[in-house]
Amino acid sequence: TSYSGPQNRNAILVSHRQKGNPLLKHIRNVKWVFADIVPDYLMGQGSCALYLSVRYHLLHPDYLYFRIRELQKNFKLRVVLCHVDVEDVVKPLLEVTRTAMLHDCTLLCGWSLEECGRYLETIKVYENKPADSIREQMDTDYLSRLTHALTTVRHVNKTDVVTLGSSFGSLSGIMDASMEDLARCPGIGERKVKRLYDTFHEPFRRVS
Amino acid sequence: MLPFEEQILSDLLEDPHGGLVVLSSGLPLHSLVASLLLLHHSSAGALLLLSASDSQKPSILRSLQRLQDPNPNSSLPSELAGDLPGHQRAALYASGAAFFVTARVLVADLLVPRAPPGSISSLIILNAHRLSETSPEAFIARLLRRHSPRASVVALSDRPLPLSSGFSKPERILKSLYIKKLHLWPRFHVVVSADLEKTPPEVVDVRLPVTAAMKGVQSAALEAMGACLKELRRTNKVDVEDLTVENGLFKSFDEIVRRQLDPIWHTLGKKTKQLVNDLKTLRKLMDYLVRYDAVTFLKYLDTLRVSEGGRSVWIFAESSYKIFEFAKKRVYQVLRADGSKIIMDNKTTANKKRKVNDDNNKDKENEASCSDGGKALTNSGVMLEEVLEEAPKWKVLRELLEEIEEERKIVALREDELGVEDTRDDTGIVLVACKDERSCLQLEACITKGPHQVMREEWEKYLLGKAELHGLQKRSKKKNQDPKGFGILNGMVANGPFENTDPSSISKLENDALLAAASEISHLASEEICVGDSSGPCAIRGRSRKGRGRGRSKKTPGKGEVSVKRNKNPGDDKMIGKGYSSIEVQGTEKDAEHAADLQERPLPDATTDKAVLRRHSKDHGTSESTNAKPLPPVQFYAFESGKHILDVWKPSAIIVYHPDVAFVREIEVYKAENPSRKLKVYFLFYEDSTEVQKFEASIRRENAAFESLIRQKSLMMIPVDQDGRCIGLTSFIEPDVHGLQNSQTRKAGGRKMIEKEMQVIVDMREFMSSLPNVLHQKGMRIIPVTLEVGDYVLSPMICVERKSIMDLFQSFSSGRLYHQVETMVRYYRMPVLLIEFSHDKSFSFQSASDISDDVSPTSIISKLSLLILHFPRLRLVWSRSVHATAEIFASLKVNQDEPDETKAVRVGVPSEDGVIENDVRAENYNTSAVEFLRRLPGVTDSNYRALMDGCNSLAELVLLPIERLAELMGGQKSARVLKDFLDAKFPTLL
Repeated sequence: TSYSGPQNRNAILVSHRQKGNPLLKHIRNVKWVFADIVPDYLMGQGSCALYLSVRYHLLHPDYLYFRIRELQKNFKLRVVLCHVDVEDVVKPLLEVTRTAMLHDCTLLCGWSLEECGRYLETIKVYENKPADSIREQMDTDYLSRLTHALTTVRHVNKTDVVTLGSSFGSLSGIMDASMEDLARCPGIGERKVKRLYDTFHEPFRRVS
Repeated sequence: MLPFEEQILSDLLEDPHGGLVVLSSGLPLHSLVASLLLLHHSSAGALLLLSASDSQKPSILRSLQRLQDPNPNSSLPSELAGDLPGHQRAALYASGAAFFVTARVLVADLLVPRAPPGSISSLIILNAHRLSETSPEAFIARLLRRHSPRASVVALSDRPLPLSSGFSKPERILKSLYIKKLHLWPRFHVVVSADLEKTPPEVVDVRLPVTAAMKGVQSAALEAMGACLKELRRTNKVDVEDLTVENGLFKSFDEIVRRQLDPIWHTLGKKTKQLVNDLKTLRKLMDYLVRYDAVTFLKYLDTLRVSEGGRSVWIFAESSYKIFEFAKKRVYQVLRADGSKIIMDNKTTANKKRKVNDDNNKDKENEASCSDGGKALTNSGVMLEEVLEEAPKWKVLRELLEEIEEERKIVALREDELGVEDTRDDTGIVLVACKDERSCLQLEACITKGPHQVMREEWEKYLLGKAELHGLQKRSKKKNQDPKGFGILNGMVANGPFENTDPSSISKLENDALLAAASEISHLASEEICVGDSSGPCAIRGRSRKGRGRGRSKKTPGKGEVSVKRNKNPGDDKMIGKGYSSIEVQGTEKDAEHAADLQERPLPDATTDKAVLRRHSKDHGTSESTNAKPLPPVQFYAFESGKHILDVWKPSAIIVYHPDVAFVREIEVYKAENPSRKLKVYFLFYEDSTEVQKFEASIRRENAAFESLIRQKSLMMIPVDQDGRCIGLTSFIEPDVHGLQNSQTRKAGGRKMIEKEMQVIVDMREFMSSLPNVLHQKGMRIIPVTLEVGDYVLSPMICVERKSIMDLFQSFSSGRLYHQVETMVRYYRMPVLLIEFSHDKSFSFQSASDISDDVSPTSIISKLSLLILHFPRLRLVWSRSVHATAEIFASLKVNQDEPDETKAVRVGVPSEDGVIENDVRAENYNTSAVEFLRRLPGVTDSNYRALMDGCNSLAELVLLPIERLAELMGGQKSARVLKDFLDAKFPTLL
């Protein structure tokens, strides 16, 4: 039908049901068009969203369930976009959470229409984005890696890493240092000395 | 035991349910615990000591041994370790003895239950200032109270300050432990002060001035601190009232700021966070200024410049420039010496440098100021003059020691004449107490080798470090040399890459001069025939003579500057009483009594830790100082080590090298316990320094804290039930007392409830949060295990990763969350990310106005969107508070099967070692070592276990040959990567 047309591939498709929803005003970074669709919003090939205001949910507790039931299974990501617009939220949110969970929907909460709109925009914009920005990334230079490792020891900070490195010359040098040698480093107090030393010398497995 | 201790004890024991005791720091907390242990009888049930730190345990044991002396047959409490097999632990609990145990182990044991709550008669919780409603100790108290209402819970703390900060903290602690009595024992308590001031020790207060350069550093650091504070106030995010420079000197200042900012930490800009960090750095600098020698201090500054350079706000401020300049001036000066060796006036050089406002031109100007009138490209144009300022206290320390020996001789002589023979009590030991181990080592070296030699050694080490940098720089030629100068504090943060933090502010000439000096040294060092591996000391000896003449002329304050005052109390605390005498520090130059007769005394107590207390050995001392006067036997003690050693060493004189309130109190108590023993105490203070300020303020602050606690105590409302038991906080704010009723019906045999009891598998690490406690309150059975994947397992299908808001932001940026979700999705049908807000903070990520105009990758909205796009099966749960979470859990578990403990434990653990011995794995692992290992290059999720099997510890890993590594890691390449990283030369950046 109309919504698979090429001119709309870069737009969020919006169900006619959403006509009059003030949220639409806040979708500004992405184009959106009305279309004949089952979910409220269609952000991409595999992702759709249902909009639910908690206030509405309090009046019509079954609404969400019926809407979810209408959705076909062929969306990979089914979002329930919940606008938290009441103060006393614990009980209704529990119901929404439960319904979404049991029917394979992902629940997103927004506290303002701006925030809700931004979720829709972002999901559209990031449709094909790799996850690099939220994956574990490490600078690969030596100092960063050394810092990454040494700061597993509690209270050891970046300055300490430089101090340790320049005092002992290499990581193996640091690991080989005696308690007394460690204590001689400026900034490395009693506790850090002990923590460092124990990390290096206590066995991985404490077998009695 | 002193009368006031007995009073504390009897007050505490009045209420069989226990109480919370708060003492001034330094008062004998340990002997108090020891007396409680002594009163314990195994027939009543086990006594458990919780949250004792590693340094407290031996102190408690020692106090106990001392008290037990008459009947040493009773046993000492031992450690109840988490790695003991379950049945053995159960037997230990049942034995009714006393044990040290960690909260985590005890929670698990109470829940399983391996430790039947009825078998525990009392609980002693140390470091009570760390408690809160959410700590595992509170959970323990609840579990214990429910099943054995008679058990007593005693909580102790000697840190009134953290207790008085925050909103009615003691009240909340009392409630969460189900106790109602708060006992406050400040030092100014009448009973305490009467006891301690009966026979006060003799006190000598030595105040000496700091050098001009030290003063310069100090005032510049204070200035920088003030600027940071001003800037921080401008953010309008913190309560201004607490933001004073005086507060800034204390460690607790960081806590004040963090407490205010933590709830909104994720919304703060980079700059504000950096300011908080900078304040911490500056506070440390002030401390190190009086603790470290001039060279080490300079070295530390250099290190700071490297590690903080790119980010720090203060480091490029005008005032911090002064810090660097003054710190340098304490060590060396760059002088211009042309043919006729006209030495330029250093003062003007320094002034000129300081006046330069435009940092961008700094380098050029510097060069100009050094080289005007000559093309000083050749090293001959510039020379380095070593200043090597010694710490003023060093000299005074030696003089004091000499004088003590002098006095002792006279006394001994007089006693000989009189034929008195009662010196057996007098060990003659002089105890020098410093803050840290490092100072101990250095002071010892000062006394044995002489202060000058110590400075030389530090200096040569420093220069050699520089030389190494030079060599490295040559190798990697292209170093980007853009001087980053941003007018600090007027709003800009320099954010250059990490590497370009080479010492751009040190002018080239200065650097050249340093390098020349360095090469001279390394040259000399290689000429010397060095014995042993320590290249330093022997190589230096040859040179030190030469250096001495030059250095001497400049440094060290004249003797006359040292003023010894007739003490006006160091605090308002009536610290030590009135027996002061004034002494002459200068000490008349006596004929040099040849060959120091340093005597090695036998160790008074063989069990003392040699690493902490070292003896003054005579071989070193005599070699160098030919005109040295005899010194008494000296012991060094670092109070940072937390060991209580006065009773062990029984010193007859104590030199408090770094003032510390807690240690002063210890001395007082020691003296009060041994009223007949002679004791003279010397305090060394730098006058007009932050050291004095800090010392005096710490007493003031402690008093203020107690006053606030006393006020709070008078207003406290502790609900009590009919039996006089306290009704704790948890059931108090929780309207649903379902849990409690539940347990009662269970006791009455309500079978229905047992059948319906829900089970939740909880990761051991989660016991630091309050959720397990709340779930338990809801009537769920908590099964504590160590989970590889997820934090909570609700059913065979549902696994939950719980994130508080702060955790969420952090773990997003570290990438940890992605990894956690990835594994959860792999193993569970319904992986859940629980986003848990805190009930006292707002329920939202950000206000509508904080949302930027376009989609920005750093926003939490973007990160969350990306996460669900990549893991469409991940379910999000948004919870208003812990209590809401518990309800959500209960509702999700409806119609689900109960989770399987053994399966949950195995999830995510590679099958080859799928056999897991029971449940307390976390306690069996050196977790920080394992984490460390996993972060090393070449080490992956799949090979780290093999590595752990292949070697015992990280230290052993270093020794493994590459072939063996390849074998363990399943590949030549990753083994190479790891080995290279371990042995890689640290780039000298200074």
